Amino acid sequence: MSYENPEVPHDVNVAPGNHLIEFLRLAAALVLLVLLAAAVLYLAGGQLARFIPFATEQRWVGDRVIGVKIERNDSDVRLNQYLQQVTDSLSLVMHLPDGMRIRVHVISMKTPNAFATLGGHIVLTRELFDLMPSENALAMVIAHEIAHVKHRDPISALGGTASLGLLLAVIGGDASSLAPQVAMLVQRGYTREAERRADLDAIAALQARYGHAGGAAAVFELLAATHADEHVGVPTLLSTHPTDAERIGILKGAARDWRAENAPLVPLGP
Amino acid sequence: MELTNLETFPGKTIVRHLGLVQGSTVRSKHVGKDFMAGLKNFVGGELKGYTELLNESRNEAIARMVAQARAAGGNAVVNVRFSTSNIAAGAAEVMAYGTAVEIR
Amino acid sequence: MELLFQLGIISLLLLIGWSIGGATERRHFRSLVKREAQLRDILVFNERRPPQDQAFGQAALVMGSVVIGEDYFKRFAATLRSLFGGTLRMYESVMDRGRREAIVRMKAAARRQGATMVFNVRFETSSLSADAGQRSSVFSAEFIAYGTALKPR
Repeated sequence: MSYENPEVPHDVNVAPGNHLIEFLRLAAALVLLVLLAAAVLYLAGGQLARFIPFATEQRWVGDRVIGVKIERNDSDVRLNQYLQQVTDSLSLVMHLPDGMRIRVHVISMKTPNAFATLGGHIVLTRELFDLMPSENALAMVIAHEIAHVKHRDPISALGGTASLGLLLAVIGGDASSLAPQVAMLVQRGYTREAERRADLDAIAALQARYGHAGGAAAVFELLAATHADEHVGVPTLLSTHPTDAERIGILKGAARDWRAENAPLVPLGP
Repeated sequence: MELTNLETFPGKTIVRHLGLVQGSTVRSKHVGKDFMAGLKNFVGGELKGYTELLNESRNEAIARMVAQARAAGGNAVVNVRFSTSNIAAGAAEVMAYGTAVEIR
Repeated sequence: MELLFQLGIISLLLLIGWSIGGATERRHFRSLVKREAQLRDILVFNERRPPQDQAFGQAALVMGSVVIGEDYFKRFAATLRSLFGGTLRMYESVMDRGRREAIVRMKAAARRQGATMVFNVRFETSSLSADAGQRSSVFSAEFIAYGTALKPR
């Protein structure tokens, strides 16, 4: 009987492989999974929110315009009346559901912008209005935002964001840190499809209201020019507007289809 | 490779004692199974996911111990012991150790 | 902005954990190999019965222990790994280091006693983390190896 201690391999007790590579692979997989879950939740929450009746949405919101501070300025009265009149005439041809009334507001911001928010409110910035070459172009912007309200895109964005907040709360994060993003998303967090649909609806509305869709492409040509100037700093989460070039192409095509390239445009102004 | 937790093999003689060999592993189940086990904890009873986890770990630990014993030139391990320690939620270390021997 | 700042801090800690923790681990393994070679003549067994055909002088309990902690990178990587399930190899190396270090220290204690063999070696591992079992807790564990050292007569 002999007693000895031959050399034994110690490395059997540690599984082979590089820790860093494994870590990077796992982290990538986790990020992917979370993004996927977020996308699914966002879309599902958005779809669910569309089932909330518009009357209920209006009751919640009332006269408040979510996300902006409206300043009642006397000099704006005529402009407001004019904008509301354009809005009402477009609402008429867009066959909005019963009880859906669109109210339009003007605010002063540093950038040209327009958005639809909860409760059937549409907001235009003065800077955007000042850029408009014709009433047709203005009508294109307003009709686009009316289409968003008609399709319930603002409440859908809210529903999607609320679901994301839920996911964040489950993961253990701070859901309230989403709050600043909520306002932004409600204004601008629509999907590509929603934007395209709104564009097409707006073109149809222009066609019905003015007899042609001329002047619409000018809006996006203007926006493309301003976008090129400014630094785009807002990360668009899960929601990308179609590129300006893409939209200009669609609108020019629509204008051609309706032989509106040289149609007379209505001058702008209250 | 023969394993026993006796000190000897009945009917056989140990001709060489080759020293301590050990195998260990740390494993965990994915978070879904952790969640299911958490739910199961409300009613008690066997947590199948964890039973499975620890059995897999123990088999791996034995395999690693046996690999050491074989490398040492043994054909059996006597006095096998197991030990399990909690490392993190749903992750446990399982260890097996014994003395590698040559029996005839 | 705040999020980016936090991500930056986490990445920095991960980098520190990975580079310094990794270097520490490699150095420890090198030192283990060296000391294991120096202590090769101390034989260890976990059998309870000492050799019957040899005469021994004194017997004494010897033990070796060490506490080893994980680094930030390992903790992060292990948390990720345990979400997906599978082998936590980043912890396996910690366990291996701890156990081998405990054996080496036990053997060193045996040598100080003048012994050449250690019998009935047992291991004990215990987690030191205050909130062991929590996913977020930092993991550190104590490893003990103990046995009976036998001096040749």
